[in-house]
Amino acid sequence: MNKNTGLSVNHLPVLTWNHIGINEAQFPETELAEVEFDACYEKSGFGKEIAEIFDNIETGMGAEAVAFTMNHCTNPIFIRVKEGEKKVIEPLKYTFADGAKVCDVTYILAEKNSEVSVFQSYISEDDTASYHAGLTKIVALEGAKVTLIQTQLLNDSSLHSNDLGIKIEDSAKVELVQAELGAKMDYVGCMALLSGYCAEFAADTIYYGDEKRKTDLNFIARHTGKKTVSNMKAKGALFGETDKVYRGTIDFINGCKKAKGDESEETLIFSDKARNRTIPLILCDEEDVVGNHAATIGRINENRMFYLMSRGLSENEVKELVVRASYESVLSRITDEEIRSKVDSYLERRMIIE
Amino acid sequence: MASSKDKVSEVNQSIYDFRYAENASYKTDSGLTEDIVRQISKEKHDPDWMLDFRLKSLEIYNSMTIPEWGPPIDGLHMEDIVTYIKPNTDMKGKWDEVPDDIKDTFEKLGIPQAERESLAGVGAQYDSEVVYHNVKKEVEEQGVIYTDMESALTGEYSDIVKEHFMKLVPPTDHKFAALHGAVWSGGSFVYVPAGVHVDIPLQSYFRLNAAGAGQFEHTLIVVEPGAYLHFIEGCSAPKYNVANLHAGCVELFVGDGARLRYSTIENWSKNMYNLNTKRATVGKDGIMEWVSGSFGSHTSYLYPMTILKGDNSKMEFTGITFAGKGQQLDTGDKVVHIGKNTSSHISTKSISKDGGECVYRGEVIITENAANSRSSVNCDSLMLDSISRSDTIPAMDIRNATSDVGHEAKIGRISDEAVFYLMSRGMSEEDAKSMIVSGFAEPVAKELPLEYAVEMNNLIKLEMDTRD
Repeated sequence: MNKNTGLSVNHLPVLTWNHIGINEAQFPETELAEVEFDACYEKSGFGKEIAEIFDNIETGMGAEAVAFTMNHCTNPIFIRVKEGEKKVIEPLKYTFADGAKVCDVTYILAEKNSEVSVFQSYISEDDTASYHAGLTKIVALEGAKVTLIQTQLLNDSSLHSNDLGIKIEDSAKVELVQAELGAKMDYVGCMALLSGYCAEFAADTIYYGDEKRKTDLNFIARHTGKKTVSNMKAKGALFGETDKVYRGTIDFINGCKKAKGDESEETLIFSDKARNRTIPLILCDEEDVVGNHAATIGRINENRMFYLMSRGLSENEVKELVVRASYESVLSRITDEEIRSKVDSYLERRMIIE
Repeated sequence: MASSKDKVSEVNQSIYDFRYAENASYKTDSGLTEDIVRQISKEKHDPDWMLDFRLKSLEIYNSMTIPEWGPPIDGLHMEDIVTYIKPNTDMKGKWDEVPDDIKDTFEKLGIPQAERESLAGVGAQYDSEVVYHNVKKEVEEQGVIYTDMESALTGEYSDIVKEHFMKLVPPTDHKFAALHGAVWSGGSFVYVPAGVHVDIPLQSYFRLNAAGAGQFEHTLIVVEPGAYLHFIEGCSAPKYNVANLHAGCVELFVGDGARLRYSTIENWSKNMYNLNTKRATVGKDGIMEWVSGSFGSHTSYLYPMTILKGDNSKMEFTGITFAGKGQQLDTGDKVVHIGKNTSSHISTKSISKDGGECVYRGEVIITENAANSRSSVNCDSLMLDSISRSDTIPAMDIRNATSDVGHEAKIGRISDEAVFYLMSRGMSEEDAKSMIVSGFAEPVAKELPLEYAVEMNNLIKLEMDTRD
């Protein structure tokens, strides 16, 4: 851990030219009391065998972030869904005020053929600088289905990190839906290991950059199981002097025959002072796979703009409409009314297109 | 793709893998020291500024570290590399005067024949020096200058050389650019005056004959406003059991409204570390076109870069990389959009087989000022077996709100459906697969002049093994 620059996080799985500045990122640490995470663990009733599965799961932000969050964990949450059970977990709502510092660790174990839906929300209630480091690990056993929906609306002074490690076994499916819309620094890392036969992973992420926000995203789908399927999508709009990095990697490991990986990113840029860096990787060590990635970055397609303006909308109305439309697949999944209304009013307040 | 009948054969190297005994008039000791750099400079009768430049580059080389990204280059030991080998001849302007062993080498590679049939001029480098340079009279009469770098450096074009030499690729760029600055030798200088259209291509061919040697040629091309040139570069070497090194440098200056097409078929032997740097800058309304085929080398780091400096300038890059057994070819391209309304189009293909590793590494930068620019990147990778590897690492850095950037990449094997379709039309499985692989490489072949497309097909020689 480098005390001068913070935690080294969001490593690109293979290095490229240093001058682009995307091989890794730095996320600040904070002063927090140290805890013995094993003690939280023991209370969870997960048992040693299961604890080991979780311990071995890699995350998108990496080992330094995991160690920091676990060693300073303020909110340990353990969710276990028994075989064949279907559960919707009560929303986990974290509200930040008075410079709150939170390190939450959430472990989700979905046993054979179970289904679980988890919702995590992080919202500021005032303008004070708060700190959030989150770590969520998911294990989906054979035939299980896990849906994780996350929203983040922290204020412009707050730091937010959201680290995910996911292991998906035979015929299991994990779906991740994320609205990363706030904070001064918004860092997200997600590593999904598709180890089981026919395991599936889907991620749908929206981000919003304005003023001087730094957004740094690192998604990795690692295919080791046969016939595994991953689909990662990210969409966002950039305003002001924001600086965004998106790393998306499909990693086909030798032996993952008939695996399929898709990845796409759509970024709309509305400011000449905004900066967007995108690096979509495909790493392929197996012949019998199909991998695709696509990225479109820049302004709104001219034909779309022309069509909508010819229907009577102003240029700014078109821009707002197009951004909202690109967000819709994620926003429509936020079923908690209180949070959805906060997201809507946040976007209304922030998205000023000139 | 595991059965033998699916096997695609190795690139046929036999036509390039012949060698002659070393017959050098002068060679330095192996390794890299200040003394060696001074000796090279003295041997080449450098002007003072060039000696200073070399020594400064050596200093930079010693201060820089080896890149931590990219394929390993542990097998390359600079202390074992001979950086300068002068063949036992001066540069000739007539083919008959070239010594027999060297002449035979280039005859076998088909260079004189190509010159007679389809080129406006030829330069041929053997180890560290250019041994033959000739340009057609009518091209010369247009004011086109095509000569070796040494003559340019000390002759009447010395000012142009001094003005441009390693200005696009400064020695501080990376460790092997610094190495090049310290020990460079040979290469070509081309100057095309404003408005001159050179109808048929010029070609330089680089041959590294000596074992354990390095080749560090410098190619400097200045295409003045409104002019046009097609330049072709070819390279090969016989195979040795010791590492050879190629750290050339290509600097291309494309003026306002000018157009330069730069085609390369690289087929170094498989003991070669090819750490080459190519860069172009393009003026207003200018066009830069790259066609790049990478087939040889043990390890390659090759990313031709274009700086679209002038408004409305354009670049197009078409590349193919074929990595077979024991090869790690890290290739790609870079483009920086600086002028307004600039555009770039990049299309690459890679084929990996028999444990070969292909990496596409790219970078598109659109700066704040490059309003209304466009860039599109397409990367297709074909894996021919499960012991090979193929990675795609494209970075994009966009800094304005009026540009459009699109990127697409696909990776996969030969589609069973396509093979089935062709077989249902009466083809054998081998023919069907061969046709699909040839079709995959075809977009690059069609960008090359006919003679070179044939050479490329020779190189690929994708023959299906019918031993089943």
